Amino acid sequence: MEVSPGLVALAVAVAALLWIIAAFNGLVALRNRVRNGWAEIDVQLKRRHDLIPNLVESVRGYMQHERSVFEAVTQARSQAIAAGGDVQQRSAAESVLTTALGQLFARVENYPQLRAVESVQLLQEQLTSTENRIAFARQFYNDEVTKYNTVQSTFPRSLFAGLLGFSPASMFTALDADRANVQVKV
Amino acid sequence: MSESARASVVGQRYLPRDRESFLDAQQRNRRATWRISFLCLIAAVVMGIPLALIITPLLYAVLLISADIINYFSPLPPDFWQLASEFARFGVVALNWLLQHKPADPQTLGIGAAVMLLPGVLLSVSLWLGVSLLFRRNGVGGALLALNAREPNQNQLKELQLVDVVQEMAIAAGVTPPRVMLIDSPGANAAAIGSSPADARVIVSRRLLDDLSRDELEGVLAHLLASIGNGDLRIAFRITAVFETCGLLVAIVNSPFGPRSRSVLWRILRYCFVRGEDSGAKEAAAVADLLARNVTLDSDDIDQFFDSAGKKRSRLRAIRNFIFSPIFFTNTAMKLSLWFFSSAVLGPSIALLWHTRQYLADAAAVQLTRNPDGLANALQKLNEEPGEVPGGDWASHLFIVSPKRSDHKVSGVADKCQQQVLAQAWAASQQETGTTTVQAAPADFRPVQGEFANTFRAALAGDTQARVRLRAAYQAVAAADPAFAAQMPNPDDFFGAREGDAVSIARLRGPRAAVMQRKTQAQDDQASSISSVSMLGFHPSVKRRLKRLTRMGAHVELAASKSKAWIVLLVLGVIFAPLFLLLIALFLLLIAIMTMASLAFLVVWLAVIHQVFMLLPHR
Repeated sequence: MEVSPGLVALAVAVAALLWIIAAFNGLVALRNRVRNGWAEIDVQLKRRHDLIPNLVESVRGYMQHERSVFEAVTQARSQAIAAGGDVQQRSAAESVLTTALGQLFARVENYPQLRAVESVQLLQEQLTSTENRIAFARQFYNDEVTKYNTVQSTFPRSLFAGLLGFSPASMFTALDADRANVQVKV
Repeated sequence: MSESARASVVGQRYLPRDRESFLDAQQRNRRATWRISFLCLIAAVVMGIPLALIITPLLYAVLLISADIINYFSPLPPDFWQLASEFARFGVVALNWLLQHKPADPQTLGIGAAVMLLPGVLLSVSLWLGVSLLFRRNGVGGALLALNAREPNQNQLKELQLVDVVQEMAIAAGVTPPRVMLIDSPGANAAAIGSSPADARVIVSRRLLDDLSRDELEGVLAHLLASIGNGDLRIAFRITAVFETCGLLVAIVNSPFGPRSRSVLWRILRYCFVRGEDSGAKEAAAVADLLARNVTLDSDDIDQFFDSAGKKRSRLRAIRNFIFSPIFFTNTAMKLSLWFFSSAVLGPSIALLWHTRQYLADAAAVQLTRNPDGLANALQKLNEEPGEVPGGDWASHLFIVSPKRSDHKVSGVADKCQQQVLAQAWAASQQETGTTTVQAAPADFRPVQGEFANTFRAALAGDTQARVRLRAAYQAVAAADPAFAAQMPNPDDFFGAREGDAVSIARLRGPRAAVMQRKTQAQDDQASSISSVSMLGFHPSVKRRLKRLTRMGAHVELAASKSKAWIVLLVLGVIFAPLFLLLIALFLLLIAIMTMASLAFLVVWLAVIHQVFMLLPHR
């Protein structure tokens, strides 16, 4: 049986088209996972904002003399909320909030009777968990970004990923402000 | 005295070139899963052929007898009988070729094989699908009821921590968090149960929360969530369904003989049609348990049926026994081959598959937490006291460490509290004798164990100082916890027994017998778990898991492998391997003979029944 060159070309073209469709769909799925990861970070930051008023209320009575710390926390929280969607501003405000919360907990350590209160322990656990969740959400986001970018920039997908409107996503890196604040207080 | 040896070994260290990243480890285990799945498929085929050979004739028998009965009331067309004899001829050709090496043309042979095998295979597969569908419906409700699981109380710090850690791990894995349930059992263990990621539940024993730190808890839950995310629950569900199908087959073949099998079948039928909420779930768990139990070799039904001793020997019974005797052979052949193939062929390959899934989940857990130490420490802690979970035997393969008691334990030392009492007593005894002792934290019992073993040996050899110290320790235990001391042998008895004092020996024997009895009872209780069906355990050894975690960067001290034990095992293996092979060959021969006998009897039996029907006057 003789195979005409036209038929071969057609078969190759169909195969290539099918492959491109599959690759496109794969990239879309990855992009959605990346977006989902970003949204998850946002959710967890929001959760932290919601927890803070409770925490402040429950410990304020015991720590009358630490007004400045409370004010720092409350202010940092409202700034973080006000920062809105801008990634740069938001990250900066959130890291200020992290620092303020760290200071608050360092003060709590000075009040043994406060540490023994169960509701405070529970709140502290919730905040610890929230910090962990933010960290894990970042980890997940960065993993997904790595996968997405690798798939995009490896041959042969790199030939047309840009043409189809995919661009590399950026990692969530620790900001300079964050790095500066890693000091262990004893 | 291996305890003291363990305490003193130097940890094995890994060079950088031995390291493996968690991503590579996952990829390797995924590939291994494919390979071993293929092995399982082959094992299933190997098991399926003899089973189909046994089931198919039975199906034909049922078909023929019902055809005879129908024929009696309204005669069937002659074409039908023509077709039946055609069918039979194919089977006869295939059997002649197999048994007497009569030449046959390949086409007839192929059809003959299909005639002999296909119906049995189809029946088994459809039963398997049916069982899967049936038990999927009720999900995990029954299991949770059996375990007495409860919701965690979020006003308690430890339980809130559990809920939080599950959420954190779900975020790290990018999945929806499964529901968590607590069980208040004395053993520390955790499992992921369910039939799919959608209805997955994580169950954790309260004891585990108390024993593990937050990091370790994180490791355990990362393993469970990774396992859910990897789709292990579906695999486990299918595996369970395979064993349940085997049990169902046994129950069906047994049903003419025994009330117990009939009641199992009846319960399944009722369960198919009755849709209750809680009671249905509980019933599902009970039925599944009964089915899994059926695969084991003991079935009293059939013995009771044929065992006429102690009962009135009547003519009716004799006739009944004669009528059912071919099915007796079928029954025995089926049970033997099911037991043999599921414990020696299919079971081990499925267990291997499950090992790979566990390693995969471990590697994925490291990816989620980026902290191999958490999981490694948790495994080490849990392995010291593998938690028995009451009501959890049926699902022992789903737990993170095998819920059975391991041999690592010093016999008689049951839990942490008692260990603590012992450690304190040991420290107290030091002051009385003035000897130096190990400074052990209450959490770490091993150094105490090692030193105790050494002192005990010295005391038996006649060292007076060691004897004084043991006595002091015993009295300290008696002062702290009299109930516990009552279970313990008095050191004086050992010394007395050494000198040949009969009273001391008798006093030592009593508690020992009690311990042995408890052990056998524990084994009986575990007979119903799936993992007991296989010769190979469903849990990979914790040591191997720790080794792999160490390669991914965990810092745990691994006990160096004892090379001498390996040599002994090798020598034993060389000696016993031929014997073992002979035994297997004999067993296979027995199964083959049984199958042939069942076939022969069945054919004669059917011919007789058919003739009887033919002789009956037609309406």
